[in-house]
Amino acid sequence: MDVDAARLIGMALAIGLGAIGPGAGIGIVFSGAVQAMGRNPEAEGLIRTYMFLGFALAEALFIFALVFGIMIGFGII
Amino acid sequence: MLRNRLLQIIVILLLVGIGLHYGLGIRMSREDIHISARAEPLACIGGERIGEACSAGLPLTNSLVMTIVVDLLLVLVIIFGARNMKLVPRGFQNLVEWVIEGFYNFAIGIDRPNIGKFFPLPATIFLFFLVANMLALIPMVGSVGECVPAAAEATAAAPAAASPSILSGLPGYCGAGNVVIPFLRAPAADLNVTFAFALVAVFTIEFFGVQALGLSYFTRFFNLKEGGLGFFVSIIELISEISRIVSFAFRIFGNIFGGEVILIVMSFLLGYVLPLPFYGFEVFVAFIQSVIFAVLTLVFMSIAVVSHGAHDEHGPTEGPHGETHPEAHGETQASPA
Repeated sequence: MDVDAARLIGMALAIGLGAIGPGAGIGIVFSGAVQAMGRNPEAEGLIRTYMFLGFALAEALFIFALVFGIMIGFGII
Repeated sequence: MLRNRLLQIIVILLLVGIGLHYGLGIRMSREDIHISARAEPLACIGGERIGEACSAGLPLTNSLVMTIVVDLLLVLVIIFGARNMKLVPRGFQNLVEWVIEGFYNFAIGIDRPNIGKFFPLPATIFLFFLVANMLALIPMVGSVGECVPAAAEATAAAPAAASPSILSGLPGYCGAGNVVIPFLRAPAADLNVTFAFALVAVFTIEFFGVQALGLSYFTRFFNLKEGGLGFFVSIIELISEISRIVSFAFRIFGNIFGGEVILIVMSFLLGYVLPLPFYGFEVFVAFIQSVIFAVLTLVFMSIAVVSHGAHDEHGPTEGPHGETHPEAHGETQASPA
């Protein structure tokens, strides 16, 4: 297996495996937020703010995987 | 009415884009994708530029130029907004007050007692990254630049000019074997900038901790009084404190840089059409990541000034109606990443 093929496999694996955890995490964030909004509609604005905070924190992990995947795939590192 | 007109314009542009992409074949080729993870120097002070790097001297990078532009813009906006302030704001002062007050009210919900002391640094981080990330999304910011010959190892690694790009006849197109050094680059897409901000944020957090608690602040990192378990927990606390610098720096760098790469790759896959939803998402990311950086700084500051033993009596987080949530405090502390 030459280096280019290994790089492509590495990029695909890094991005794909890195998407598993944050995907589940973002689902948990939004499900908790929707449930909280359903129980307490007056607090919707506050819940939405913290929902996006939690979403961005979980999503950042996928972005790590994406960036390192891109760097591997394009031969930067 | 207006929305219908906007939708019509967008649909017409999409159709024109698909026509250009498939009908006339005007699209990016694979060799047009050039990604640089580091900021490229525009000039070298006291040295000479060879290809994309400085041989010697101090590099004057494109992200530095953009940082200065953003700084000047922020300073001018604040000067013109806060010059002869009125009690009842009019015109431009309204906008400035709206931005500052919106973030201030949000920050008050996180730490009401210390907000006067803590507010300046998170507000600076928020405003800087907000303006920087939004300016970086303007078309031609990261794409218009100087055409220089590519470095030797890069041309050797790339497959030698398989098919010339259809764009190659256009004026101003940078041909094969050359790379574009953009005049402006998003500051958050340069790891030096984000790392500097992360260092400043973490050292300010430690400073406020020491200022509030004295030398006993460091007992949370080297806790010898509470036995083996306490020592173990304090060592974990120390490691998470150090890893905060890395996670601060890489979170915003990864988001902005990754967003740029996604836009480039999507333009390559299906030009004019596929980048549109991602562009909207990047606007959202640009806003939310600047908020995240600022709010996490504020939350860590408010954790740092609470002494180790006083955690259970009153947490630093206050709800919107004034009641405290000790469990919310526990959650913010448990997620330092």
